[in-house]
Amino acid sequence: MAATTESVKADAKEAPLLNKRNLFAGLMLYLVFYVWVRWYEGIYGWSAGLDSFAPEFETYWMNFLYIELVLEVLTASILWGYIWKTRDRKVMSITPREELRRHFTHWTWLVMYGWAIYWGASYFTEQDGTWHQTIVRDTDFTPSHIIEFYLAYPIYIITGVSAFLYAKTRLPTYQQGLHLMYTISVIGPFMILPNVGLNEWGHTFWFMEEIFVAPLHYGFVFFGWATLAILGVVNTEVTAISKLLKKDLA
Amino acid sequence: MSASQSAVRSRAEAVQVSRTFDWMILFTLFTAVLGGYHIHYMLTGGDWDFWTDWKDRRLWVTVAPIVSITFPAAVQACLWWRYRLPIGATICVVALMLGEWINRYLNFWGWTYFPVNFCFPSNLIPGAIVLDVILMLGGSMTLTAVVGGLAWGLLFYPGNWPIIAPLHVPVEYNGMMMTLADLQGYHYVRTGTPEYIRMVEKGTLRTFGKDVAPVSAFFSGFVSIIIYFLWHFFGKWFAKTDFIADDEL
Amino acid sequence: MKIIKDKVSKLSFVALLVTLTAAMFYTPTASAHGEKSQAAFMRMRTIHWYDLDWSKDEVAINETMTISGKFHVFSGWPETVDKPEVAFLNIGIPGPVFIRQGSWIGGQLVPRSVTLELGETYDFKVLLKARRPGDWHVHTMMNVEGGGPIIGPGKWVTITGSMSEFVNPIVTLTGETINLEDYALDNVYFWHALWYAIGLAWLVFWVKRPMFIPRSIAVVDGKADSLISPLDRKIGIAFALGTVVLVMASMGATNDAYPVTTPLQAGLMRGIKWIDIPAPTVTVKVEDATYRVPGRAMQMTLTITNNGDAAVQLGEFNTASVRFLDAEVYEDESGYPDDILAEEGLTVSDNSPLAPGETRTVEVTASDAAWEVYRLADLIYDPDSRFAGLLFFFDEEGNRQMVTVDSPLIPSFI
Repeated sequence: MAATTESVKADAKEAPLLNKRNLFAGLMLYLVFYVWVRWYEGIYGWSAGLDSFAPEFETYWMNFLYIELVLEVLTASILWGYIWKTRDRKVMSITPREELRRHFTHWTWLVMYGWAIYWGASYFTEQDGTWHQTIVRDTDFTPSHIIEFYLAYPIYIITGVSAFLYAKTRLPTYQQGLHLMYTISVIGPFMILPNVGLNEWGHTFWFMEEIFVAPLHYGFVFFGWATLAILGVVNTEVTAISKLLKKDLA
Repeated sequence: MSASQSAVRSRAEAVQVSRTFDWMILFTLFTAVLGGYHIHYMLTGGDWDFWTDWKDRRLWVTVAPIVSITFPAAVQACLWWRYRLPIGATICVVALMLGEWINRYLNFWGWTYFPVNFCFPSNLIPGAIVLDVILMLGGSMTLTAVVGGLAWGLLFYPGNWPIIAPLHVPVEYNGMMMTLADLQGYHYVRTGTPEYIRMVEKGTLRTFGKDVAPVSAFFSGFVSIIIYFLWHFFGKWFAKTDFIADDEL
Repeated sequence: MKIIKDKVSKLSFVALLVTLTAAMFYTPTASAHGEKSQAAFMRMRTIHWYDLDWSKDEVAINETMTISGKFHVFSGWPETVDKPEVAFLNIGIPGPVFIRQGSWIGGQLVPRSVTLELGETYDFKVLLKARRPGDWHVHTMMNVEGGGPIIGPGKWVTITGSMSEFVNPIVTLTGETINLEDYALDNVYFWHALWYAIGLAWLVFWVKRPMFIPRSIAVVDGKADSLISPLDRKIGIAFALGTVVLVMASMGATNDAYPVTTPLQAGLMRGIKWIDIPAPTVTVKVEDATYRVPGRAMQMTLTITNNGDAAVQLGEFNTASVRFLDAEVYEDESGYPDDILAEEGLTVSDNSPLAPGETRTVEVTASDAAWEVYRLADLIYDPDSRFAGLLFFFDEEGNRQMVTVDSPLIPSFI
């Protein structure tokens, strides 16, 4: 998805404005991956995930955690590094059509960000609720957390930062300065991850029950609000795209 | 970028491009709002929403509307003023309820095996439609907050009553009276959820006898008005397109 | 080519569904319940479970079993755990694999939370009805507000049969017999689907027209008013009025259909009866206690005085659900879980019958791998390095006396 930089030099007429295959493949990638994750949880959550001192917990869950953390660091480094490394240094001189094409690619990233947020903040977060209220949690790294906090959250963080970096490095709209709401829409949900520290500390310190509406969880709520900053990104994007289309739409 | 050059080849292409962006924006808005709204709602009103034995006449009725009017107010503030789209509240609620239903079915039922008639979500749609229509008709934040916010609170309980009423039929169980919803909570063991964390039917409100739910709904509507104002402003702030200058970073 | 692509995408979708379904209908063997993670001092000094009986090891769907026994609420309750003023007799199972048909403390049904008194012993019973097949670890459990779950011993129980056969018939006070497993489910689906469809219809009404870019251009150009037509307003009014009318009408119809409804029942249950146990005639003074890390053994020096009228012997030391027995004095015939039963784990330097009026100082050793496996040895890393437990003395006729001990513990690393 990030390969459009070179297309400035290439014949822009050849490339479609929206690469639908990438869009579809991206959506399917997350879907298939998360269905597999859900399957894994369904099987090994019950059979190996209830006693964190059992050897099978180490095999099926702690190893899962170690592998995912390594892969996340690798993916983030490679992806973000690539997007930055291949940045367009003459971004202000691209043609309107190329700019439009990049807006489409940018929106492909944003679609992925929304999709990743859905899985992280909605699907796996509420799923964590049913797990906690069903079992007695005996570790910070309970199976639902290994998926929710340390897999689904990093994935949307990686996706969101990639979208942000793409915009910053390839779209004239974001060249000057820092778009406040875009920054919030990426940093806010990111902060949910460090907030896990407060959560786990609180649960070991004074909050023994898994009551979801407990004030201890309000840190997640506060940072969850930051997803609303996507509204500012939408508005900026609509303004920018309107400029490109206005006279043709009239 | 040259102003003389066009980004599209024809008006037809321009229309098509614009429409494609509509779908992509809508998808992102839907999923991102779903994520944010869901995490907000499940952590401020979730327990009342998860289980039928939390859906009482007093706290559920009070809390759920107050905490759920937030995102609808904020998204309305953007979609109405920028695009005159009166769907801000409905899109939030439809997104939230989709996320909840997927979860209740695939996870509460499909992973931990609680019956769906015990863990279905609350219905927020009636209030959302009324909120959107009032904003469309009046074009006024104040009117929407006062009339819409109040309606949001008032419609919640009657909008859910047809769904939960069958579960409030009483039963005599080993010498005690319970509702079927209480019995669900007792039968379907939640190992990590002891009975005492239920926040239901607290306080007395004796003066009002049986009319606890209307009083709670009215109070909830009152607070929803205030929350609507607050979150409408939040929404306007989140809809900003400001840049921080490089030298201010 | 396109046909192949379509087929592939269809097949992938089917595969996804199959995968999810497979996970949902998987019959597992669930591991234990995380009791080992609880601080040892918490397990030793809060609730002591004993005389437990799991009525069955294997039970078919729809059949019932009971777990019964006694629990002693320890008087040396730790300061870091809130006192059991609000407590709930729970059951430690991985989700509703059983339903809890009944639970009693002191003969009183306890579907709600109760107040327990420190230093007292209660009898309890939990009646379970099998719902989901699999091998499950079934624990006794007490939740204490401010203290969290306090897990007791667990035993493996196998449920056989198919979950689809499970039924949960209930007779309501209005005379109906319903199956609580799926009661009113169609009603839930119907109303949610109807309202969701109405919400979607409102969205579709707006989404089907060009949205963001043209509308934004119109608003910026000062033509915002043109974006809402008189027809839009009329349809909007119809949606809003229709919503209000449907809410009112459905509420009215529901009240007619269910004239008898009651509020949720809640509230703390006090005055739960405990067992009147006569004060023990044996007194025990702990002179010192050490935990020997290499030997996985706890050694106590006890001064025991028998003030009764029959000679007694020490037969059992029970702490944190692990039972150490002196096989020569007492044998367990209750089928207590093997992993937390040390049948010959208790050694007493002189365990000859202690005559009435006699006082004797003895070395008592409780040793078993369970100290490590159940992480009781971690006691020495707890912030309050004390141990506690129950000592059971037996006379010749098999009469039993329970004495509690609660004392500092010194670790020995060599």
